Amino acid sequence: MRLAIFFFLLLLGLESSSSAASDISGKVFFDGAAPESVKLDMKMDPACAKLYSGPVFSEEALVSSAGGLKNVFVYVKEGLEGRSFPAAETPVVLNQEGCRYSPRVFGIQTGQILELTNRDATIHNVRATAKEQNSFNLGMPMKQMKMTRQFEKQEVMVPFKCDVHPWMRAYAGVLDHPFFAVTDESGAFTLRGLPAGDYTLEAWHEKFGTRPLKVTVTEGAETPAAEFRFSAS
Amino acid sequence: MKTRSGRLELLSFFLVGCVFFLLMAGGLVTSHDAGLAVPDWPLSYGTWMPPMVGNIFWEHGHRMIAGFVALLTLFTAVCIQRSPEPGWIKKLAWTGVVLVTLQALLGGMTVLMLLPPPVSISHACLGQTFFCLTIALAYYLSPASRKSGLQGEDPLLVRKLMRLTLLTFLFVYLQLILGAVVRHTGKAVYEHMGFALAVVAHVVLVQLAVSRLTDARSPLKPAARILAALTLLQIVLGAGAFVFTQMIQRQGPAAPLHEVVFASAHHTNGALVIGLAALIFVMSRPAPFGSHRLKAAV
Ligand code: HEM
Ligand code: HEM
Repeated sequence: MRLAIFFFLLLLGLESSSSAASDISGKVFFDGAAPESVKLDMKMDPACAKLYSGPVFSEEALVSSAGGLKNVFVYVKEGLEGRSFPAAETPVVLNQEGCRYSPRVFGIQTGQILELTNRDATIHNVRATAKEQNSFNLGMPMKQMKMTRQFEKQEVMVPFKCDVHPWMRAYAGVLDHPFFAVTDESGAFTLRGLPAGDYTLEAWHEKFGTRPLKVTVTEGAETPAAEFRFSAS
Repeated sequence: MKTRSGRLELLSFFLVGCVFFLLMAGGLVTSHDAGLAVPDWPLSYGTWMPPMVGNIFWEHGHRMIAGFVALLTLFTAVCIQRSPEPGWIKKLAWTGVVLVTLQALLGGMTVLMLLPPPVSISHACLGQTFFCLTIALAYYLSPASRKSGLQGEDPLLVRKLMRLTLLTFLFVYLQLILGAVVRHTGKAVYEHMGFALAVVAHVVLVQLAVSRLTDARSPLKPAARILAALTLLQIVLGAGAFVFTQMIQRQGPAAPLHEVVFASAHHTNGALVIGLAALIFVMSRPAPFGSHRLKAAV
């Protein structure tokens, strides 16, 4: 019985220490006129072209009417050294669907499973070009075909490309912790459950580069909203 | 009816044409960034014939043409082996078989290793070397090689011409290596442009030396003129390739048509320049490699 009470208290202690962790929410903006999207030409594969009735545009730079920038990878770059975090159990899924990757930008932990799925009635290859670890090039010739891969080392970002359909691009931010997020249509993101401490965040965009930001997470206090601003130059 | 050696001559000409077409197809693979559209080798997506969609068209198409050329090279060597041609021509033909095999292995290697520049550069250069070899083979099998036009010429001039045409070929070949470095790494572009001057100078010197030949009907004369014209064209195409691949940033994910056209035309016309430089060199040798045929003809 005493043992049970001990564990109960221990659990309570763990619970309260994790509630000391805080979320960082924020927004990423693009200053200036939104860059024009390039029209994609899919006729080199009729199976892709017939999926769309109107024109299809590149998702390289997606800016909302209020200036929010989509598909920015925001993560903790410094401040977590020496800590270890187990890889999430659930796999990250990268779909090849409509002859595009979805999601286009995503985060994944080292050791976490990346599941690649072909949802198209055509051939894709998935080529990841890594610098810190082995690159790979996988053939996925059939609809509903699945393959899995894992990354061993941190790397921001690992680009993915389909060489059959050269407009298909995706980017993976590989980290050995779970404190990352990708901005939505409005440019908003939330990093959840960060322990108290001083951090350097970084926002990465495939076309506009990176922006740093220093933040402090204090126990019991709300962390002020983080804001990143990108521009064309 | 064609004589036996006439048939061999035709076959070797056909081989040269097919190899040229293959080089062009290879250049189009690179220019479309299609080298990794098929991840496996020797099969393509586990079959001999994947659907030719997207960039698979360029990569698998190149492999199919390469397969045909490899078989044709082997067939040519077997025919030459069974003919009364001298041993050194047979050796030359079998060297072609070795080169085309190595070339296919390099092609497979560069796919499996995800296009490391050293392997892709070697594949680019060996392809053109093989092309030069097939040209030399076709020349030696043709009647043109049996009546060397240099018998009545000043021996000093002939010796000089031979040195000069060899040097010109080597310079063009070096320029090919530099060009392949530019193409596969983006580096050495100014070295490549500067070295074009050395190539031009040698092409001009060949032109001058050939003009001193007394035989007005020497085939070296038109050959040198065509070399000069192709070199000039090569510089224009090179300038276009430079503008479109190095100066103008790509809009969108795929190589635009003007980039593909200039870069592959420069690549393919480069093959003609190298091939013709090689041909001029073998034509300016009064007696090829211990030839029995020439001795018989004298
Ligand atoms: C056997 C005769 C072959 C010849 C003469 C040949 C020739 C060429 C040439 C001239 C290029 C262009 C190089 C450049 O633009 O810089 C090329 C590219 C290429 N070839 Fe071949 N090739 C042959 C066989 C093969 C085979 C069997 C494969 C098999 C996979 C292959 C795979 C490739 C690839 C992947 C490229 C693109 C390289 C890059 O973009 O870096 N080739 N080839
Ligand atoms: C007469 C001389 C020249 C010769 C024989 C020559 C030959 C070549 C060859 C064979 C290649 C392709 C190599 C491969 O197979 O991968 C190449 C690439 C290239 N050359 Fe030249 N070249 C010459 C002059 C020039 C000049 C004058 C320029 C620029 C003004 C130039 C610019 C380029 C560029 C930019 C590439 C790379 C194209 C790409 O990235 O696709 N070249 N050259």
